[in-house]
Amino acid sequence: MPRPAHELITLTIDGREVQAPENSMLVDAAKLGDVEIPVFCYEPKLGNPVGACRMCLVEIEGIGKLQTGCSTPVKDGMVVHTQTERVKEAQRSVVEFLLINHPLDCPVCDKGGECPLQDISFGWGSGLSRFVEPKRHFVKPLELSPLIAIDRERCILCYRCVRFSQEISEDYQLVLLDRGADSYVSTFDGHPYEAPFSGNIIELCPVGALTSQDYRFRARPWEVENAGSVCTLCPAQCNVTLTVRDERVLRVLAREHPEVDDGWLCDAGRFAYPPHPPAAEINGGQALTLGARVAAPLVRDGGTLRPVSWARALQEAAAGLARAGARSGAVAGGAASNEEGYLLTRLMRDALGSPHLDSRATGALPLELMRALCDPRLQARVSDLEFAHAVLLLDIEPVRDAPILDLRLRKGERRHGVKLIRSAGADPAQLRAAARELSAAGKEVVVLWSERFAAGPEGEARARALLELAEELSFGETDGAGLLEIPAWANGRGLREAGVLPSAGPGLTPPPAGGLDARGIADALVRRELSALYLLRCDPLDPKDPLAAGAPAANGAEAVSPAQASEAWTRALDHASTVVAHASHLTAGVLEHASVVFPAESYAQKEGTVTHPDGRLQRVRQAVAHPALVRPEWLLIAELCSRLGLELELHSAEAVSRALFDAVPFYAGMSLEEIGGRGVRWQERPQAAAFGRAEELPG
Amino acid sequence: MSQQLLLQDIDEPGLHTLAVYERRGGYEALRKALAMTRQEVLSELEASGLRGRGGAGFQMGKKVSFLPHGAIERYLVCNADESEPGTFKDRELVQKTPHMLIEGIVIAAYAAEASRAFIYIRGEYVLQADVLDSAVAEAHAAGYLGEDILGSGHSLSLVVHRGAGAYICGEETGLLDSLEGKRGNPRLKPPFPANQGLYQGPTLINNVETLATVPAIMRMGGAEYAKLGVETSTGTKVVSVSGHVQRPGNYEIELGIPSREIIYGLAGGPPEGRAIKCWFPGGSSAPVLTAEDLDVPYDFDSLAHAGSMLGSGAIIVVDDSTPILDVAMKVAKFYRHESCGKCTPCREGTNWTVTMLERIDRGEATPMDLDIITSVCDHIIGNCLCVLGDAMAMPIASMVAKFRPELEAHMQAAHERALPPAAAPAGGGGGFA
Amino acid sequence: MSGGGEGEKRMRAGQGGWDRPAEREKRGASIPDPASTPVPAALRERIESAMALYPDARSAAIPALHAAQEVHGWCSPEAIAQVACVMAVTPAYLDSLATFYDMLETAPAGRHSVYVCTNISCSLRGADELLAAVEEAAAADPDVRVRSFECLGACDIAPMASVDGVYVGPLTPQDVPELLADLRAGRAIMPERQLARRLVADQRANSREFPPPPPQGEGAPTSAERDGAHASEERQP
Repeated sequence: MPRPAHELITLTIDGREVQAPENSMLVDAAKLGDVEIPVFCYEPKLGNPVGACRMCLVEIEGIGKLQTGCSTPVKDGMVVHTQTERVKEAQRSVVEFLLINHPLDCPVCDKGGECPLQDISFGWGSGLSRFVEPKRHFVKPLELSPLIAIDRERCILCYRCVRFSQEISEDYQLVLLDRGADSYVSTFDGHPYEAPFSGNIIELCPVGALTSQDYRFRARPWEVENAGSVCTLCPAQCNVTLTVRDERVLRVLAREHPEVDDGWLCDAGRFAYPPHPPAAEINGGQALTLGARVAAPLVRDGGTLRPVSWARALQEAAAGLARAGARSGAVAGGAASNEEGYLLTRLMRDALGSPHLDSRATGALPLELMRALCDPRLQARVSDLEFAHAVLLLDIEPVRDAPILDLRLRKGERRHGVKLIRSAGADPAQLRAAARELSAAGKEVVVLWSERFAAGPEGEARARALLELAEELSFGETDGAGLLEIPAWANGRGLREAGVLPSAGPGLTPPPAGGLDARGIADALVRRELSALYLLRCDPLDPKDPLAAGAPAANGAEAVSPAQASEAWTRALDHASTVVAHASHLTAGVLEHASVVFPAESYAQKEGTVTHPDGRLQRVRQAVAHPALVRPEWLLIAELCSRLGLELELHSAEAVSRALFDAVPFYAGMSLEEIGGRGVRWQERPQAAAFGRAEELPG
Repeated sequence: MSQQLLLQDIDEPGLHTLAVYERRGGYEALRKALAMTRQEVLSELEASGLRGRGGAGFQMGKKVSFLPHGAIERYLVCNADESEPGTFKDRELVQKTPHMLIEGIVIAAYAAEASRAFIYIRGEYVLQADVLDSAVAEAHAAGYLGEDILGSGHSLSLVVHRGAGAYICGEETGLLDSLEGKRGNPRLKPPFPANQGLYQGPTLINNVETLATVPAIMRMGGAEYAKLGVETSTGTKVVSVSGHVQRPGNYEIELGIPSREIIYGLAGGPPEGRAIKCWFPGGSSAPVLTAEDLDVPYDFDSLAHAGSMLGSGAIIVVDDSTPILDVAMKVAKFYRHESCGKCTPCREGTNWTVTMLERIDRGEATPMDLDIITSVCDHIIGNCLCVLGDAMAMPIASMVAKFRPELEAHMQAAHERALPPAAAPAGGGGGFA
Repeated sequence: MSGGGEGEKRMRAGQGGWDRPAEREKRGASIPDPASTPVPAALRERIESAMALYPDARSAAIPALHAAQEVHGWCSPEAIAQVACVMAVTPAYLDSLATFYDMLETAPAGRHSVYVCTNISCSLRGADELLAAVEEAAAADPDVRVRSFECLGACDIAPMASVDGVYVGPLTPQDVPELLADLRAGRAIMPERQLARRLVADQRANSREFPPPPPQGEGAPTSAERDGAHASEERQP
């Protein structure tokens, strides 16, 4: 579906000519001319304007009544006044109306200092009120959910939160009850507002009516630093701003990126930072800074993991790996960065001489298939989900696999009429049926598929069917069409491209020698063909880890149940003489089997890059210092390389990034500056040509 | 003798049944219309000059012509959510001559190329909705509704939808939201319903009386109809007269006759020995007029010129036995109760106005409060999403303007009642909120 | 003059609503699960047939809530959950409607309702005194819910009341005992004062002679006729 094209027009605002896209809303166009029109209810992310708060009234020549700037599309030649006495009086009156029942308890309000109502009252209000009646008072704050507190005295009924619930996350749990001046935001019959994206209403609230239970009274805006980073708790890799005070992350806010998250966060990403049992319970989130995190290097001693010095931990790890040498295997997952993945390839291939390393939880695919699926011409962008004619979902549950994409799909369906198709199954006939349905919808088609789809005995056949579908629907020649794979791990794509695969080196190039995939490594451990295992941010015995999921059943093949997978891995770990793990928590496999545990950094402590499922390299920036006994993970792998005789001469995180960019042909010439705060899709750089065309697939 | 178009058979026994309505020539206008092209029907409507009888007074033919053409589903919605205080004309028509309304709906839908129609009737009108249900069933059975009406190829489904008590649903976009199963919050305009109305489709919305007049226009011809009334307010209008008059009720008048003739001539004027203090010419949303304005011709433009409006055509007469403050409080409280709460000036302004009026009544106000009321009303008028806020602000502002001395006296008297003689006056001044 | 509907509104909003937190033992209220939400068959049938009338089934929300209110007496959480289950919407969506519309009861209400119009035209003719009289007379009767109501569209019979949906007027405080007696006895409410029997006020209306009544068999009576519409020929002043 063609994205709206915007022709520039010229309008006059307060006497100055402003160029703006035609039909953009006046408040947005005004910003292009450095004119601010105050708004409360207007938030483009929420869809069509509602014109409820009336704060943005302006005068437009030729129209008698004042108009709401939030809902007036600009036209060429329009003449707008925002500074006339008539406009000012209307704006002052709206502020006065809004403050009638607002408690003005700014000194004890969490929003104070970052409050649009404060700012607008100061900037556009008269500073006086003629309202002398008593204000109304309610019990406050009240719990709206275990995560969110509501203060109904402060609410100015701007509709943002209820529109979010109704039109964005579409959970329709948050509504306005009653009518007129008595209206209030509430849920049904005392039920909490529990939905996967509920926390966004806190950020949307233009007053202090909705506040985070966790962040309440923890800091003032002028006491905190804001650090931009990328959440690496899932493959969606939403852009975030971390609110930091005294080397602690107190809050996670969205850092809007239209090509990644559209300005929203899921509750797991937003609330996973402190040890918050309800959040962890609801969302399965991981703690970012506190909680039962591994905070020091551990070594198994007399059957128990005990904290030891770094020297001892590194020495034990190096010794164990050295003993195994080429009989080592490695699996990387979780939030491991591209740099860590790259260094792991050096450790395994160059220092230990082992080709056995993997970052796919679901089993290997032949390299030519991996390359074909990764072909830059076939890759869809996140925003394509919103503007496609149709999206085919293959073995994926967005709200679980990459939550923020769930909102994007809903947006596309609701606003642009994107047709969402869930294939009944994955055999070629069913895919062909889906293809017919897709092509009936239009040319621009996106296939959103999970790594699981190509897992198991039929995985290869399915991957080929997927490529046939892409061929049939001419993805290569159609802008806005393509494949978008959601890997099992947050940085699955980046780790593959860094070369953490048994069948490929950096840049999906053929490796010097082929190796075993994750399952093969497990089997080889049992057979004592391998004796050491390096677990970089994964644990096959952690039920939440994709490695523990087993493999799906397919035609003529048995399913591997999670219990069978766990049994196989337990035996493998039992047989391993050395297990080195990078872990944030002592999950089952680490706790029972690791010989050495390196404490994993939280993403707020990490410096490095990750690659989004659509090929966008993004920077993870260090926002808080490492705790005393936590060290950068890249440094640990580099140190192990050194102790095993491989001197990499990489002395800073940036140097590792450069080494990675040099090693991956299609990342060539990339720099951290180029990636910046918004990321870079490697497919959009000229160096993408280095990927080469996908080889002809062997029959 | 004034022409009677809507009420000429109104109390005939059984008129609400199809048989009696047909014997009176019912559905002949529909047959005539279906024999014409849609454009010809539209031309008749435009020629009639018929202005909407719901309150806004927009030309009905023009409204029909605004609907876009093409292969999209168009809707017709009849607004029977008659809730403007003082208005009860639609109730009389729906209850007693429902087929006249249905016939008008079918003709208008034909002109507008609408194939689905809804009558949104306020939930309180239980009897009237039951009557409509029966009439729709009869009309359907007789082939005046449904597929291929009278062999014309034109089809129309008609559903009677009952509201549940909210004045704001009389506002056309609030009505559409309510009909879609939502809270009856008005929508931003544009887009106007003609382009994007019910279920996002082009929608013609008209009041009961407007649509009920359509058969008469088709029978007479638009040009003939336009000869009734005055140039910019053609035709006849059912006026609901209530309050302090001797014969409250509905009267069908030719537009443009002097208001005095309605209030005194038809409705008998105020009770013996009382004089008119003020009157609302078009429901409680209209700015009040006084006895001095009784000779204003009762039509859209003359009343607008006099500083008020014809609105829904409901005259409420208040005589000199009632304090103006009581009237103001009644009106303001009504609009506070009915404000949907969506936009700020209406939600907060109606509430604030009520609290100020109450303070006057308690003797805690000063004349400055009257200025604040006027200013608050000013800040509501024209600044809201829909006209509900204006509907409170305009009459209240008119009462403060026209009866200020009485209000000040009221304030003073209440003040003296409330406080011992030596006590300090209550402040009404400014301060930090 | 007492406030038209003001006390009403307070009761509906209920300080409790504003002051009510989420309850810890509850979970988020999504669309009710049919397996755990039994719905009376007749109610389900009414809701489903209402849904079939509209291009978008959500249009049936108000008729569905009306129907549930008839079954449950008010829009109780249970009633709302049942409608939500049949319509496949969240209960919050329906609650936002139930609290918006005056005729939907959001607290337990009696079997009978008396709406006394207290808007301008009725109050000019004594509605506030009427309301006070009805409230006083019915105060001890949990079966009768008396409400001050905004303009009911019957200012020609002011002051008036809608008694279980039947419009009666003009009424004085002296009429209240008879009105309540009729209501409690299940009789037609003050038949002579019912709006259904009132002729139009305009003396010039009915300008055409009424023809003789139709021969037998023509024009079968409708429900409205059975209910007594047009039964009287009395013209009121």
